[in-house]
Amino acid sequence: MSARAFEAFLTRIYVDAAARARFKANPHAEARSAGLSDEECAALENTDWVGLEMAARSFAHKRDLKRKNHVRISFKNVLRNLFTAFSGRPYRH
Amino acid sequence: MVVGAEADAVVAEAKTMNTFADKVGLGWRSDLAAGIFSHLDRIDLLEVVADDFFDAPRREVRALQTLAAQVPVVLHGVGMGLASSVPIENKCLERMARLFEQVRPQFWSEHLAFVRGGGLEIGHLAAPPRSLETVEGAAENLSRAAALVGTKPIMENIATLIDPPGSTLSESAWISGILASSDCDLLLDLHNVYANGLNHGYDPKAFLRQIPAARFQAIHIAGGKFISAPDGTQRLLDDHLHDVPDPVFDLLEEAAALSPNPLTVILERDGAYPSMDCLLAQIDLARRALARGRARRTVAEEVFV
Repeated sequence: MSARAFEAFLTRIYVDAAARARFKANPHAEARSAGLSDEECAALENTDWVGLEMAARSFAHKRDLKRKNHVRISFKNVLRNLFTAFSGRPYRH
Repeated sequence: MVVGAEADAVVAEAKTMNTFADKVGLGWRSDLAAGIFSHLDRIDLLEVVADDFFDAPRREVRALQTLAAQVPVVLHGVGMGLASSVPIENKCLERMARLFEQVRPQFWSEHLAFVRGGGLEIGHLAAPPRSLETVEGAAENLSRAAALVGTKPIMENIATLIDPPGSTLSESAWISGILASSDCDLLLDLHNVYANGLNHGYDPKAFLRQIPAARFQAIHIAGGKFISAPDGTQRLLDDHLHDVPDPVFDLLEEAAALSPNPLTVILERDGAYPSMDCLLAQIDLARRALARGRARRTVAEEVFV
């Protein structure tokens, strides 16, 4: 099993609350079902559980901020395109 | 707070005591633009978040070029995820290379972090397993980054609320391993060192002595807040929304005493902006901490000779 699969597994438990809950309930089984080795499964049983929950919450907050910022920028782009389409002139902010 | 003529005296005194040509600057944020332009005499350089300009309209890049023509600028990347066993996509590096060419910064930097895996985006900087595999993966990514951008990035240590699972190396050994194998220098984030030390039980000053001081090139200082953990304990979150705490200035003095290089120090603030006087006062405190560290270093060198 590669380090790449291990990083993919960590990513999943950081961003997917359901996967994280399954992992907390049964670390070895969840890691095994992702194809991780015995050694990797054993390493994951020593997870910093408090830190995992706090990090996941912090990452979710950051993703939320990015989404809001993306919506704001997209809205600005729509306005710019509409202005250009109807006026024939480039939009100046 | 130190203001006016007194502030000028503080800066002049700190610069006189510091013969290492250290610089102290501020992270560029558009909300701070007016205050920055009014106080360029007290800000040596600006750090610009590169990712904000990757998809920006041409006029915004032109504005950045105008800024860089007036003030020394460095570029800071936040989204590459170079410390990973997964090879970085050329697209990410090409965007940085293009911006680097357009802006001609003094240097560019990125983080010792991974940000995605298995097709999912974490949305922020995450600490990868500290292992030989990620040391090798980071070294390969950094080699490609240097080749495509044309110059090596300076790499920043990150804060992490979780002790990264699957680690076989200490944080200091892992960072030292990546710097040695990639021949990259370090952007030492002192609030990250402080936070990780508090959250994961190590002495931040001892940590500074475990990583190669000859690699210290740039330094970040910032603030954060304590957040409650599900078990009732608290951990320090590096949120860049608070003033720099005193222990971080102590660490800055320590880093200046250890480092043989001129240092570029950047104050990071991402929101909840205080007055410009408050930010400038923190820049002045950084100059004083640098001067204290440099004075200790000079005395130590004289004793050694």
